[in-house]
Amino acid sequence: MSEFLTAPAPAPSLAGRASSRVTALTARVPRGLTPTVVVVVAGALIVLIYGQQYTGSVFVLAACYAIVTAGMAVQIGFSQQIAFSQSVFMGVGAYGVALLNTNFNMPVLVATPIVIVGSALAALILGSVVTRASGLALAVATLMLPLIAVGYVSGSGYLGGAVGAPLTGTLWPSQSSTAAQLVGGGLMVVAMLALVVFIAARILASDIGLELFVLGVDERTAAALGVRTPRRKLELFVLGCVFAALGGAAYAGTQQFVPETIVDPTAELALLIMLFIGGRRSVIGAVIGALIIQYLQGASNWVSVNILVVEGVLLTVILLVDPEGLAGIVTTGMKWVSGRLRLGGAGRPGGAGPADEVHPAVSSVPSAVAGAGAGDPVAAGAVANSPFDTVPVTPDPVSAATAGLSGATGVTGASGGGTPLLEVRAVSKEYGGLSVLQDVTLALPERGLFALCGPNGAGKTTLLNVIGGSVPPSHGQVLLNGTDITRQPPHQRFYQGISRTFQAVHLINGRTVLDNVAVSCLSSTTSSIITRVGRSRLEDARRKAARALADLGMADLANREVSSLTLETQRMVELARALAPGPRLLLLDEPASGLSEDQRQRLAVLLTSLAERTCVLLVEHDLALVAQVSERIFVLSGGLLVFDGGPADFRSSPVVNSLLVGS
Amino acid sequence: MMKLGNLIIAGIITGSIYATFAVCVAVWYRVSNILNLAVGDFAMVGALGVDNLYRVKGLPLPVAIITTLAVVAVFAYLYDLVVLRIAQDRRQMEGIVVTFFFTFALSFFIDGVAKMLFGTDVHAAPGLWNGNSLTLGSLHFERAGILVLACAVIIGGAFWVYIRYTLGGKALEASGENVVGARIVGIDTRRYRLWIFIGTAVIAAIFGIVESPITGFTYLSGATISLTGFIAAAYGGFRKPGRALLAGLFIGVLEALLGGYVSAEYGDTVLYAILATLILAWPRGLGFESAVSG
Repeated sequence: MSEFLTAPAPAPSLAGRASSRVTALTARVPRGLTPTVVVVVAGALIVLIYGQQYTGSVFVLAACYAIVTAGMAVQIGFSQQIAFSQSVFMGVGAYGVALLNTNFNMPVLVATPIVIVGSALAALILGSVVTRASGLALAVATLMLPLIAVGYVSGSGYLGGAVGAPLTGTLWPSQSSTAAQLVGGGLMVVAMLALVVFIAARILASDIGLELFVLGVDERTAAALGVRTPRRKLELFVLGCVFAALGGAAYAGTQQFVPETIVDPTAELALLIMLFIGGRRSVIGAVIGALIIQYLQGASNWVSVNILVVEGVLLTVILLVDPEGLAGIVTTGMKWVSGRLRLGGAGRPGGAGPADEVHPAVSSVPSAVAGAGAGDPVAAGAVANSPFDTVPVTPDPVSAATAGLSGATGVTGASGGGTPLLEVRAVSKEYGGLSVLQDVTLALPERGLFALCGPNGAGKTTLLNVIGGSVPPSHGQVLLNGTDITRQPPHQRFYQGISRTFQAVHLINGRTVLDNVAVSCLSSTTSSIITRVGRSRLEDARRKAARALADLGMADLANREVSSLTLETQRMVELARALAPGPRLLLLDEPASGLSEDQRQRLAVLLTSLAERTCVLLVEHDLALVAQVSERIFVLSGGLLVFDGGPADFRSSPVVNSLLVGS
Repeated sequence: MMKLGNLIIAGIITGSIYATFAVCVAVWYRVSNILNLAVGDFAMVGALGVDNLYRVKGLPLPVAIITTLAVVAVFAYLYDLVVLRIAQDRRQMEGIVVTFFFTFALSFFIDGVAKMLFGTDVHAAPGLWNGNSLTLGSLHFERAGILVLACAVIIGGAFWVYIRYTLGGKALEASGENVVGARIVGIDTRRYRLWIFIGTAVIAAIFGIVESPITGFTYLSGATISLTGFIAAAYGGFRKPGRALLAGLFIGVLEALLGGYVSAEYGDTVLYAILATLILAWPRGLGFESAVSG
């Protein structure tokens, strides 16, 4: 230990540099302000100049649709929650305003907020049912909504049936002149659009934006990293519906007429075309998509007559060039241009050249061990600031360090006295008739390194999933610190201090190393999407992530995109992500698979140091590594726990030899 | 009793329309992992193309049919060559959402071209088996309806047998399960995707010709047909043509019964509400999870 303690630790300075670089980048412009200003200035100019002409009326109509597509960019594009509910809620907003206006003579500006609140409540009730579904099931279930709505509207007398519903009032209630109505109404729509863009852009750039990105890539990974997936999915659904209803209200107020086709499935398809042409993940792209399609439709020439052909070709070509739509094409173009400019100048293009990556853990091992073992202030700070800091029994890293490896073994011995950290009681799991786990019971103490071995198909990963919460056991209980967590969803267990890595690397492609690690530092146990319009905690999370990376000597990689890394580095990033929140129980699923012998030795040193402050349960096939680092080894075979003992017994056990060594 | 019997017959005929498109969607999804939203548009082209060549241009009916089918096949081939080759290479990264929108754009394109060529009126291909409807006691069978049902059963059954019992069917299945793995063991996944795409396009066109005397088509009919086929395929777990066939028939019968006994006006609304509830209550049973992950 001593050479590690005295080894120079470059970590804090690097971490500081990485996080300050990030802060400097984002501190320049407040979140979401740029697109909002663009919308306000450009929109107001167009309305003021062309407001009373045909061009202006097309623009205002397009802006109504853009309000809807901006919400779709958050819900469908960014978070990949494909729900076909927008045209229906556009109808709810439009018909709601029309009804209140004609039946109760209510001004449109008064009716709009009432309708928005009503839509939000309706979306909440509907969403709490439909967002239980995921992926294609969500898409198909919500596909029924426009079909139901169009049948209902065309049969209903009070909504005007197939004829449509007229309005007497306008968005801008000026009795004097139609010019004031047109320009005032247009400016109101621009203001609504700006508000929607502001909210959407701020959410996407916040810590919850990062959560939503992970949710969109893989719902199960998101849950394992503490994202409260059911709640986020419901919030997204409500957000999409409310924006759509606002767009519908703006439509009714400016067009003074609500046609039946507003809730038609083809209206939903038209909205999707706008979103995908503009760029599904970009709010401003979605707005531009709506503008382009509405202008093409309103052009009154060959294009508008054959709009279907034009839309079909345009969408195909854009998706072939870049699946991220026009926004993606523009971003790539700007990157290319800025890359050219920078090459012409002095500096290097990226933060870290490829040569820096090769062995991220080489320099890191000493600093990581120093950080963990000696209670390095940075590491201690990371633990104290973790999402788990409300948990009273967080182990003190300093005492853990002084206890050392032998001390940790001592804890194991003493575990009979106190409550073990993790208890698996008589857990069984059956799939159909197939029994994957049978009556497995084990207990783990606060600290130490434990391994789970067994032949392929023995149930190792299933047991890890049962502990992590992504697979419910058929029978039995899982207890953490004596509390039954068997019924808790994965994200709740994450906040109790269970963190994990996956057998196959589950990183979020398209994001930097720093953001990948930051996902597990978000600590949003009580937050909601809408509070993030006010204040983002993304920078806090990134700071914590930068510290965790620095602890592993990977600070230089912070701004690299994860898909460009080697497998070893990706596994290290995943480990950093699991470690960053300072877990009490770390579940590692085959962290050494695919690594070379050198890389395994570095991993062994790292794991040993981790075991001094936390409890690590390792699933691993490399028996030499297992025997080298573990203090206690469990062997599963055919779902049964067939061995439970120390490394010495493990090496000599006939059961283990016949099962795993094959002699 | 007579009403029930005739409703069920009508339901089975509508259901076999859904079923056929569901089978086409399911088979191509199985081989390519792309949901084809343009399948109904090929049916529309079949019906309106034959009508245009036969009635307007005055070609003999067999020539009109063969020409239309040839045009559909060549178009499908070119589309695969130009668009799908590029799109599919990227699919591994982009997932189901983006590829889905390629066929979506294709559907818009075909509808737009059909509008240019065939106008906006309702037309239908001439009936292939004309005469009064056949009666059995008090039950009535439209001749076109019998043809439609026969087509559906033959097409669905043929694909089911092909996938379940032939080597080509296994190779097709492998192409969809794992493109890289299938290529490693020597399966030309592109060729399977191409042939099934052309095959389902031509089948849809034939079916449109057979079916159009019953419902009549406009240039916009394709999207509605695709949608019902898509929904029926969904209830068959997206990948299973046999189950898609049954789901299509079930939806058709349910629709007819709801229209006949519950409400002619809101029958469809109730139908879609029931279908939505089924998915939400029982996604696993309907095979949605395997459809996404597999």
